[in-house]
Amino acid sequence: MAEERPGSWFGFGFCGFGQALGSGRGRQVLSPEPLRVPDAGTDICDIGSLSAAWSYTAIVSSAGRLLLSGSARGAADGCRDAWASETLRAVLRDGPGGPGPGAELQAWAPGAALRGEPLWARPAGPEEAGREDDGAACETRAGPLPLLPGARAHLSPRPPLCRPLCPALRARRLALGAEHALLLDAAGQVLSWGGGRHGQLGHGTLEAEPAPRLLEALQGLRVAAVAAGGWHSVCVGAPALKEDGAGLKGPAGPEDAAAAPFIAVQPFPALLDLPLGADAAAASCGSRHTAVVTRTGELYTWGWGKYGQLGHGDTASRDRPRRVQCFVREQLRVTAVSCGPWNTYVRAVEPGRS
Amino acid sequence: MAEDGNRDAPAAGLGALWGALRALLPRTKEELRLDLGESVERSVVLLLQQAADLFYGGRRSECLQTSEVVLDYSWEKLNTGLWQDVDKDWRRVYAFGCLLKAVCLCEAPGDATTVAAALRVCDMGLLMGAAIFDDILIKVAAVLQAHLLPGKRPAHIPAPEQPCLKKARNSHVSIPDLRSERAVPRLRCPSLQHFRKHHLVPQTPVILEGVADHWPCMKKWSLEYIQEVAGCRTVPVEVGSRYTDEEWSQRLMTVSEFIDSYVLNEPRDVGYLAQHQLFDQIPELKQDISIPDYCCLGDGEEEEITINAWFGPPGTVSPLHQDPQQNFLAQVLGRKYIRLYSPQESEAVYPHDTHLLHNTSQVDVENPDLERFPGFAEAPFLSCILCPGELLFIPAKHWHYVRALDLSFSVSFWWS
Repeated sequence: MAEERPGSWFGFGFCGFGQALGSGRGRQVLSPEPLRVPDAGTDICDIGSLSAAWSYTAIVSSAGRLLLSGSARGAADGCRDAWASETLRAVLRDGPGGPGPGAELQAWAPGAALRGEPLWARPAGPEEAGREDDGAACETRAGPLPLLPGARAHLSPRPPLCRPLCPALRARRLALGAEHALLLDAAGQVLSWGGGRHGQLGHGTLEAEPAPRLLEALQGLRVAAVAAGGWHSVCVGAPALKEDGAGLKGPAGPEDAAAAPFIAVQPFPALLDLPLGADAAAASCGSRHTAVVTRTGELYTWGWGKYGQLGHGDTASRDRPRRVQCFVREQLRVTAVSCGPWNTYVRAVEPGRS
Repeated sequence: MAEDGNRDAPAAGLGALWGALRALLPRTKEELRLDLGESVERSVVLLLQQAADLFYGGRRSECLQTSEVVLDYSWEKLNTGLWQDVDKDWRRVYAFGCLLKAVCLCEAPGDATTVAAALRVCDMGLLMGAAIFDDILIKVAAVLQAHLLPGKRPAHIPAPEQPCLKKARNSHVSIPDLRSERAVPRLRCPSLQHFRKHHLVPQTPVILEGVADHWPCMKKWSLEYIQEVAGCRTVPVEVGSRYTDEEWSQRLMTVSEFIDSYVLNEPRDVGYLAQHQLFDQIPELKQDISIPDYCCLGDGEEEEITINAWFGPPGTVSPLHQDPQQNFLAQVLGRKYIRLYSPQESEAVYPHDTHLLHNTSQVDVENPDLERFPGFAEAPFLSCILCPGELLFIPAKHWHYVRALDLSFSVSFWWS
C-alpha cells in the first residue's frame, strides 16, 4: 500500500463493474487496497458513510458529497447518508436550507444517475439524537439506513420499498438479509423475522417468522450491533455485561465452507471465539462472508472468499475467522468495516489518531 | 463425430467436440439473447450481454470469468425464498451461465476430466436452471456424453457385477410377512372405465398387472445399462436412512459415483437417488418407459405429469407421507414393501406440526413408538410387495410408506 493517511479507506473483493475498490481495475481485488474513487475534488479519506450494492458502491463524504461508482455512476451534493441495493438506491438529502430540519429521503431507480426525479421522496422525520458510540468509537455505519430516521419504517430492496415498523419496538439498527431482517432495539435486544430455512433467524427452527420475534437465546445479553448476510446473522454483544469479554455471537446460518459436501445449518446463535481471545467491536456481513473489527483494531474475516472478499490475498473460502494480516503488517488500526455482497470496505487509521 | 484416422486422438476428438458444440449455438451473438423480465436487474442483463460478446469474440477465458459471475449471482437468487417462488427468469440466467461455461471449458484442448466437468456444469443447468434456447443444455449434454462414452469411462468404474449384486445385499434386509396384513387388491389390465369407477373415483389403491410389464425398461434396465446410459451424469442423492433424520442430507454426484458409493462395495450409509426427474435430464431413458393410459382420466395435460426416478440399494426407506397428486408407481427392478393408509386415518398417523413436514407422519411404520402414537396400532391399512412389471395406484393424499427389499428402480407418475 503506497499511501497511508489518517482514516483511510481500503477495499477488497469483487469489483467486476468497475466500482471503487482499490485500483478499480480487473474483476477482483484479493488484498486490501486504498480506495480510489474516480472523481477529482473529493477527499476520500473523509468518508462519512459507505454502502455497497453488488454492482455499485455509494460513498458519502463528510462534506455531504455522494459518489457512485460501478454500474451506476454520478455525484450529488447535500447528501447525508446513502443506502445501496441492486434494485433501489436511497439517499438522505439535506433540505434546501442545508443540514437540519427539512431533510428528505429519496429513493432512486438503480439506473438513474441522481438527475431528474427520484422514484419517491418523503420528509426524513425527526432525527435520531446523535450516534451511539461503543466506547472504542467503532462503528459500522454513520447513519441508520435502511432504518428510516424516526425508526417507524425501513427500506427494502423489494416492493413495498418502504415498510412500517411498530414504534413500540424502539428500533435502533436494522440489518437486511436476502430473506430476513434483524432489528436491534434501544435495550440491546435483538428481534428477527422473515425466511428461516437456513437457520438465520436464530430461534432454533427452520420456520419462517412473519413478524419481529425476540431472539430469546440472547436475552440478558446487551447486544451492541447486528449484521445480516444473505443467509446468516451476526450479533456483537456489549462486553461490559459479558464475563468472558468475548462479545461476539453468531453466525446463525450457513457458512459456505468450500470443502464440505453440503451446507451445515446453525439455527441457534452460537458463540464465536475470535483467535487470541480478541473482543469484537463491530461486524458487517456480505452475502456469504463476515468481517469483524476488534477493540484493538484488528480485522477478522471468514466465509466465502472466491472473489477475494476475505482480503487474505487469495480466493479460498474459510469457515473460521482469520486476521487480515495486511493491516497488522502496515501497523494500521482498523476502525470500521462495511461489506457489500461480494466485497469488503475497511476504514483504518495510524495508531494514535482517531 | 468422424475420426479421420489421425492418431492424435484427443486433440482431433476435442476439435470435433468443439465444432459440434459450437454448431449447437446460434451463429451470431444477437441471437444468443434471453428475453428477461423485470426481476432480472439491469446490471445482470449487462453482464449477460458482455458474456455473449466475449464468447463470440473468441475471448474464452474472460467469457469463463464473466459466466462464473453470472452463475454465482443467479445462484444466490435461486437460493432466496421458496423454490416454487424463484422467478423462472433467474433460472434461465443460471442456465445461460452454465451453457457458456460448459462450452468454453471445451474449447481448449483437455482430457476426459475437462469434458466430465463440462457435463457436470450442464447437469447443474438442467437441475437448477430452466430451459433456454429450445432445451440447448440437453443437446449439449448429449454431445458431451457421446464424447465421453466410447472407451473414455473413468478408470474407477468396476466391471459389471450384476449376478453377485442380485443376491448379496438382501442378507440384512428383512422381508415382511404379509399374511396378517390386508392386501392391496390387484387387477389385470382393467378398462379405463373400470379403473375410474372402482378406484379413481372412490380413491382406493390398486395394483395393475399386465399394464407396464412390456415397457422396454422391464427387459433393458440393469445396473450395467444404467451405468452406461447415465453414469457420467450428475444427479441429486439423498444420504441418510430417512429424510426425517437429523443426519439426512442431499448431495450431488454422478450416477457412477452413486452406484460406487451407495450400491456396490457394501456401503456404510444409505444413499437414495430419489424423487429426481431423470427422464427430463436424459431423454434416452424416457424412451424405455410409457405414461400409463389411465392418466388420461385426469384433468391435467400430459406435459404436466411429473415423472420421477427412484433408484437405490435394498433398505432405502421413504417415511410415511402423503402427496397432493394421484400417483402411479411402476416397479422396474427389485421389489418394494409398501403400506398405504387412507387420508381418513390422518389423525392416527400423527403428522408433524411444522409447515415443512406437515405431509409426513412422525411414526416409524415398521417400528412404531406406540406410547407416543397409540392410535397408530389400530389404524387400518393396505400393504403389498410390489414386483417388477407391476403398477401401483396411490390415490392423492393417501399416506404411503415404502421400503426397498432389493436393489430397486421405480418410476412414479404424478398426475391430476
